[in-house]
Amino acid sequence: MSLVHANADDMPAPTGHESMIDRFIAGERRKQRRKHLLHRLLAAGFGLFVLLVWHVATTYGFVHALIIPTPLATFEATGRVMSAEYFWPNVWVTLQEILWGFAIGLASGVILGVGVAMFDTVRATIYPYLVALQAPPKIVLAPIFITWFGFDQASKIAIAVVMCFFPMFLNTLTGLSSVDPNAIKLMRSLTAGRWKTFRYLLLPNALPIMMAGVKLCWTLAVLGVIVGEFVGASAGIGYLIYAMNFQLDIAGVFSLIILLSLFTLVVYQLIEALESRIIFWKQL
Amino acid sequence: MNTGLIDGRHITKVYATATGPLVALDDVSFSIREGEFISLVGPSGCGKSTLLSILGGLEEKSDGTLVLAGKHHDAPRPDLGMMFQTSVLFPWRTIRENVRLPGIILGLDKKQQAERCEELIDMVGLKGFGDRYPGELSGGMRQRVALARLLAHDPRVLLMDEPFGALDEFTRETMNVELLRIWEKTGKTVVFVTHNIGEAVFLSDRIFVMTPRPGRLEGIVEVDLPRPRTMEAMRDPRFADHVFNIRRMLGVDH
Ligand SMILES: Nc1ncnc2c1ncn2[C@@H]1O[C@H](COP(=O)(O)OP(=O)(O)OP(=O)(O)O)[C@@H](O)[C@H]1O
Ligand SMILES: [Mg+2]
Repeated sequence: MSLVHANADDMPAPTGHESMIDRFIAGERRKQRRKHLLHRLLAAGFGLFVLLVWHVATTYGFVHALIIPTPLATFEATGRVMSAEYFWPNVWVTLQEILWGFAIGLASGVILGVGVAMFDTVRATIYPYLVALQAPPKIVLAPIFITWFGFDQASKIAIAVVMCFFPMFLNTLTGLSSVDPNAIKLMRSLTAGRWKTFRYLLLPNALPIMMAGVKLCWTLAVLGVIVGEFVGASAGIGYLIYAMNFQLDIAGVFSLIILLSLFTLVVYQLIEALESRIIFWKQL
Repeated sequence: MNTGLIDGRHITKVYATATGPLVALDDVSFSIREGEFISLVGPSGCGKSTLLSILGGLEEKSDGTLVLAGKHHDAPRPDLGMMFQTSVLFPWRTIRENVRLPGIILGLDKKQQAERCEELIDMVGLKGFGDRYPGELSGGMRQRVALARLLAHDPRVLLMDEPFGALDEFTRETMNVELLRIWEKTGKTVVFVTHNIGEAVFLSDRIFVMTPRPGRLEGIVEVDLPRPRTMEAMRDPRFADHVFNIRRMLGVDH
């Protein structure tokens, strides 16, 4: 606060009307900042409260340490796990699986979504099958995929692809279809063909809904890979969690879950930052 | 007498709906001369938008013939321009980029288009707004942009479907005056759909009065108010007479 004031004092004092507007804007900014700060404090306070409950419940014997470790033990385990020799190679395995699954799932969803939206023949040919394939919960495929693609990365990537594909496909299709009929009329009246209508109207118009699909896919890709590693793997974060759980190293399990969540969240925020740049007009 | 720029003969449009065939236009015939300002008025559902879409080559007619500049007309063509009740601006394009759109789609000369679009933005009173986005503009300003975009590829015929229908009274009247100014300067042929009888009388050379179910052309009113018209025209006793006559044709008087 004092810094801001010092800066404001350094500036030449505006006069009359101008200074009134400046003061108004400064006041609004201050209000905004205060509100922002308050919201952060609320969130931080709630986090501390949860941490406190966790600490009290585990330290004073309300919950056994084999069920939930103490916050301190979890913190120590995090350090132990991250400095262990086996940690980074396993991270690398899982990271590769997630990124490949995410990328292939997104690409195939977008390509088929565009195909079904733009070409009646493609829609007639494959749409019923795609909808039917959507029906079973994808997780049940995990054991089968392990059988088909083996214990290595391919089976995990396949599960992530299957999990990502449908939301991305559906969001692409929905985005390309939810367009103002008058905008279509306008493009037709300008004799725009299929490709120009797609490039200048349909695709940009679909981006907000498609970006929502991308965010959904990201969490699903992580989920798919970890589940795949639970079902059958010889490396990866999911495999480590499974192994530590088996050895009753609950603090280690917790630390891995926290690290995995942080990673997922950070990438999610990156995607959101990208999103607000891509669909900048939504904030106007 | 096929003498007009646009000649419609026995135009009929039937939609197949879930509840059976729906006659949207029933045997509509007319002739529009080059440079004429025509309004279509009539109650909701009488087929005004349908007729405009057929004129634009966007909708197939079920029967009848339509001739534009001596040729059969049943597909979109670049010498027609359309404008709607909503501005239909693309929110991801700046005002300038929106006005440039027709030129880009039609592959017109870039340099010429750049100049022309700048002039059009000035002409509709939005000088300095070229780099803004539609989301930052008021409804009236957006409709001005749509007007500039309508003229960007210099179409010969303007097809306007209630272009000012969503605007408030003051903005609408300002837009009417500006549209007349532009029309007088450019000599375009205009077909203008409206619900507003006063607006139709103020703007038009002739008014096509339509009635619904099935959509018929009830009659054509010649507006003999002098040109160029200003707001003064509304004080002319003939103005009120025309409005009254059209109301009666539409059966609003009982
Ligand atoms: N695609 C369509 N399918 C079936 N019926 C249609 C279709 N388009 C229009 N109609 C029907 O045709 C009739 C005329 O519609 P149109 O939109 O041309 O009326 P309008 O005079 O423009 O009405 P408004 O003043 O409300 O815009 C209406 O009864 C409408 O329900
Ligand atoms: Mg209409």
